[in-house]
Amino acid sequence: MGDKIMTERKIMMIQYVTGILSVFLVSVHLLYQGVIVPYEKAISFSQVLSLYRHIFYGSMLEILLVVILVHGFNGLRIILLELNQSQDWSKAVDIITVIATVVTIAYGTRTVILAVFGGVS
Amino acid sequence: MSYVKLVVQRYDPERDEKPRFQEYIVPYRKGMTVLDAILYARDYLDHSIGVRFSCRMASCGSCGMKINGKPALACYTQVSELGTERIVVQPMDNFPVIKDLATDFEEFFEKHKELMPYLVREDRAEQENPKSEYLMKPEELERILQFTYCIKCGLCYSVCPTVGTDKLFPGPQAIAQAYRYVEDVRDEGGETRLNILDNPHGIWRCHFAGSCSAVCPKGVDPALGIQLLRRYVMRGKAPRKKGEGSKPFTK
Ligand code: SF4
Repeated sequence: MGDKIMTERKIMMIQYVTGILSVFLVSVHLLYQGVIVPYEKAISFSQVLSLYRHIFYGSMLEILLVVILVHGFNGLRIILLELNQSQDWSKAVDIITVIATVVTIAYGTRTVILAVFGGVS
Repeated sequence: MSYVKLVVQRYDPERDEKPRFQEYIVPYRKGMTVLDAILYARDYLDHSIGVRFSCRMASCGSCGMKINGKPALACYTQVSELGTERIVVQPMDNFPVIKDLATDFEEFFEKHKELMPYLVREDRAEQENPKSEYLMKPEELERILQFTYCIKCGLCYSVCPTVGTDKLFPGPQAIAQAYRYVEDVRDEGGETRLNILDNPHGIWRCHFAGSCSAVCPKGVDPALGIQLLRRYVMRGKAPRKKGEGSKPFTK
């Protein structure tokens, strides 16, 4: 179906998958940081840093970052698309949301990298 | 109740700057419908009231309007069921007003037409000169039956929040009818319809408010049709390809 690389069908498939993944990953995160580790300790700087440096938890945080940003910015794109139906607007919305997603993922990833490889202590 | 106070929203886009309300006192009789009240007002009190109607039995879908704020067919709404002597009638939302209560269905029918609301068969010659009926099992009919009851009254379209914001969205009626034909075992045009619907202003923009199904006077559930059709669009595959429709009956 369709000749475009990214048909709306594929975009929505990503939207649903990231939605389900977000619920799962956020639940795991909240369960750990707040129930398993008491809340006061969970928000201490050293605890947060240790999570970033833990191979599984750090990877999960990075995946969570990507999943939530993709889901959130695509959601914003959908809302914006409904505001105006011109081709130019649709194109602008697509480009801006893709750039915003990439930039925020890069910025978040930078934080993870700094926490893992030093620069933050 | 011996009379009803009928409040009609009056608006002629060619003359008026904005809509206004006008009141008419209409004698009540048992069994009176809102359409009866409007027609009394038009026949005896004010000939200039603009209203569209035809069958007066909820079959033609012409007299859809907002009655006390809720979209309904005027011929299918008894005055007594409203529980008030004051009846406010307004044109449906999401449709341009032609005059007073009569709205313009051009865009609505265009969207309906775009999704090919008819059987599409690869063998056009055979379809145009059929020798017998196409086969269909009762359970296959059951899957689409409720959607065939649509009378194109536009009530679902008038309450759809997405239609209100996105003018390119086909609307619940058109999409539910697309489902009705995609699911029909005699049809072979599913793939084309799915392609039309898979776009940034297509089927995905339904937010499942469900108001379409709540107002349908014929018991159609357009929201269900949209969700079922989405399944096919998501898979990128219609239930049948060209040439796979049910065969004509042979002895
Ligand atoms: S689905 Fe129901 S409300 Fe919508 S146009 Fe058809 S009959 Fe009217």
